[in-house]
Amino acid sequence: MLLGTVVGQVWATRKEATLTGLRLLVIQPYLKGGGDSAETIVAVDPIGADVGERVLVVYGRAARHAIGRGHDIGFQSAIVAVVDGAEIAGDSVGQTAETDRRPGAKPGRKT
Amino acid sequence: MFLGKVIGEVWATRKMKDLEGKRLLVVQPLDTAGERPADMVKPVVAADPLGADLDEVVVVAFGKAARVAFGGDGDYAFEAAIVGIVDRGHVPSQDWFTAAEGAR
Repeated sequence: MLLGTVVGQVWATRKEATLTGLRLLVIQPYLKGGGDSAETIVAVDPIGADVGERVLVVYGRAARHAIGRGHDIGFQSAIVAVVDGAEIAGDSVGQTAETDRRPGAKPGRKT
Repeated sequence: MFLGKVIGEVWATRKMKDLEGKRLLVVQPLDTAGERPADMVKPVVAADPLGADLDEVVVVAFGKAARVAFGGDGDYAFEAAIVGIVDRGHVPSQDWFTAAEGAR
């Protein structure tokens, strides 16, 4: 399971049939210190998260369970929670990046 | 399964039902080069049945092992769990454990 920020959404007409009707969001993982991850993840969203919100993403069986369409389906990652907040390495991580507080941040560091 | 240091905790109200009542800890993987390069590695959020504290070194398991740690192999909306809290470690060629211990 990982913590990330929803940075966008994707749509696809030609896709695995079991994905029909599901929302696909693009998530950028949170790194310690608030740095930008170079990686993005695509996950199915059964919860209804908005762009900018912090979410928890799971893989595999947990993801298939979260969608509730059985275990023979064509995806492997899903959002299971919209985060209210977190405390990570002394930083207060908010529901969105705008509500983050970084008392330990070094000057000039991107927040 | 990997070794990591507990660096935080996450709270959520809108979540899958079976995450209710579970403590979700943020675990930063430890690597052989010490802690700084590991900041580029994304932390893992793991369910915690053991009651680990901040800065403790823990063992995190994925998949079935994580579900078993919560007393079953049913459907859970998480795939990572803390299955051990490390008391001490000895890996002479690597300094990650002493680095983590020094922070406690």
